[in-house]
Amino acid sequence: MGESSELNFVEGTPSVVIDKVSMTYKTTSRSRDTPASAGSTWQMLKQNLGRTTAVSVTALKELSLVVEHGESVGIIGRNGSGKSTLLKIVGGQIPPTAGAVYATSTPVMLGVNAALIPGLSGDQNIILGCLAMGMTRQQIDDKYTAIVELSGLEEAIHMPMKSYSAGMGSRLRFAIAAAIDPEILIIDEALNTGDAQFKDRTRKRMLELLGQAGTVFLVSHSMSTVLDLCNRAVWIDQGELLADGAPADVVKYYRLFTQRLADGDRVGALKLRRRMINDLQVADVSDRNSLRRSKV
Amino acid sequence: MTTSVSLRGLRRVGARPAFLDYLVSLWDYRHFIFYDAQARVQTGNEQDRLGRVWLVLGPLLNGLMFYLIMGVILKSGNGIENFVAFLIIGVFLFQMSTRAITASSRVINANKNVIQAFQFPRASLVLAVNLRELLSNIPVLITMLILIIVLPPSEEITWRWLLIIPVVALQFVFNLGVGLILARVVSVFNDASQLISYSMRLWMYASCMFFSIESFNDMPTLKTIMEYNPLYNVLDLARETLLYGSAGEWRSWVILALWSIAALAVGTVVFWRGEETYGREL
Repeated sequence: MGESSELNFVEGTPSVVIDKVSMTYKTTSRSRDTPASAGSTWQMLKQNLGRTTAVSVTALKELSLVVEHGESVGIIGRNGSGKSTLLKIVGGQIPPTAGAVYATSTPVMLGVNAALIPGLSGDQNIILGCLAMGMTRQQIDDKYTAIVELSGLEEAIHMPMKSYSAGMGSRLRFAIAAAIDPEILIIDEALNTGDAQFKDRTRKRMLELLGQAGTVFLVSHSMSTVLDLCNRAVWIDQGELLADGAPADVVKYYRLFTQRLADGDRVGALKLRRRMINDLQVADVSDRNSLRRSKV
Repeated sequence: MTTSVSLRGLRRVGARPAFLDYLVSLWDYRHFIFYDAQARVQTGNEQDRLGRVWLVLGPLLNGLMFYLIMGVILKSGNGIENFVAFLIIGVFLFQMSTRAITASSRVINANKNVIQAFQFPRASLVLAVNLRELLSNIPVLITMLILIIVLPPSEEITWRWLLIIPVVALQFVFNLGVGLILARVVSVFNDASQLISYSMRLWMYASCMFFSIESFNDMPTLKTIMEYNPLYNVLDLARETLLYGSAGEWRSWVILALWSIAALAVGTVVFWRGEETYGREL
């Protein structure tokens, strides 16, 4: 990374700067490294007490990206590759273990995870959710009808959330999250839930938001979505950045990779993976006004 | 390759604002706080058949239990004028603090999904919980006053009864301050939540809920400590104003007021300093 002296000036101000962000979870594991061997009473006792060992899981290795205004970045990768973790960090929902994300305004996550309060009715949750996003009562009144319409809940809007089906719940969550027009928009893939009618509506609203937003991050498993909506693509695998470039190129290599895995050609896939990492030019972010950096 | 960027005009995502900005943003979220508190009062006891009646029934049964054990069996009320009312004030008011402080301490874990979904000053959750407890305790307080009037020996209603409002207000501020501190503590060290119910019980005994402070006359150190206990002063002031026809000692008012202001000041700063950590998974 640092060996090359090449310096790449980014013109103007970027919209989002991801600066050496990494994420490690601490969790417990019940798997034991040592097999039940020695057979002393003490060891048996220890095992029967069901001790879990603390392990740390690396969800995201050190990663840096500079995203400018007008870019919509598609993030692709296999399940568990760290895509959603990256989105959550960019959106400020979870703090990274190391590094930091800088942005011109608070990025807004548009997804179906916007958890609400199950005991409250749909309309109460709309007001609460909008207030939590910092909207004023006046703005909420103006948008209320549009939110209910987008959710497609009709009369069920007055019933408690806990009586909703999974699909109804995610529709309401999406409708609430889509109520504001953010400058930096983060979209999680799970939008493909729901029936065809709802899909049409969400897609329409999403395109509207995409048109208004300055910068977009989009996680999707659908390559056609990424090719359609993005002008830059990023491929993450096992928490590591593999490729960053034009969607057509990145998607091409990603497809090749998954194809090889599906064919059982692990060696070929790993070779490709290694080549991608070698070819990748990693951005080592440095602030021009580095003296002020620590104060930001 | 080094990419040189200018971070001018960019802010770190999720960064903790300066203290004064934080207070201002809390004020901006006042509608959220009120709405959250109000909505949760409505749904608090929804699963129970009797619904919100439990808000009153709970302390009533609690008081009855203490009356049977302390008043009838152990006779700890000997020498206390109007012991029934004395006990009712103790049980009802102390429970307000227990509920508010316990609920505040759990607020971060209980609302983790809301915290992760939206960006808002997290202290508004603690504020909302305390406000919710205050709102849902208004019927409880009214029941308390009615019981004091109805149960013999009935007490005379004087202008001093109005002093219960500043007492409860100071208690609210104190609960809020302690709640802010404990919310941060529990979010860092979850095991602390296990200790809270025990601490609250110890605190209850130290607040003279069902015995007079006179019983500690032969233990002067303990008595002095208890006299500086803010919740003892809450109960003492409420009893003085409602039962014993005095406005309470000025010393009690000062102790309680100082505790409340100090708790709120310390609590706000402590909670604010942890602002960036509340979204983290344990």
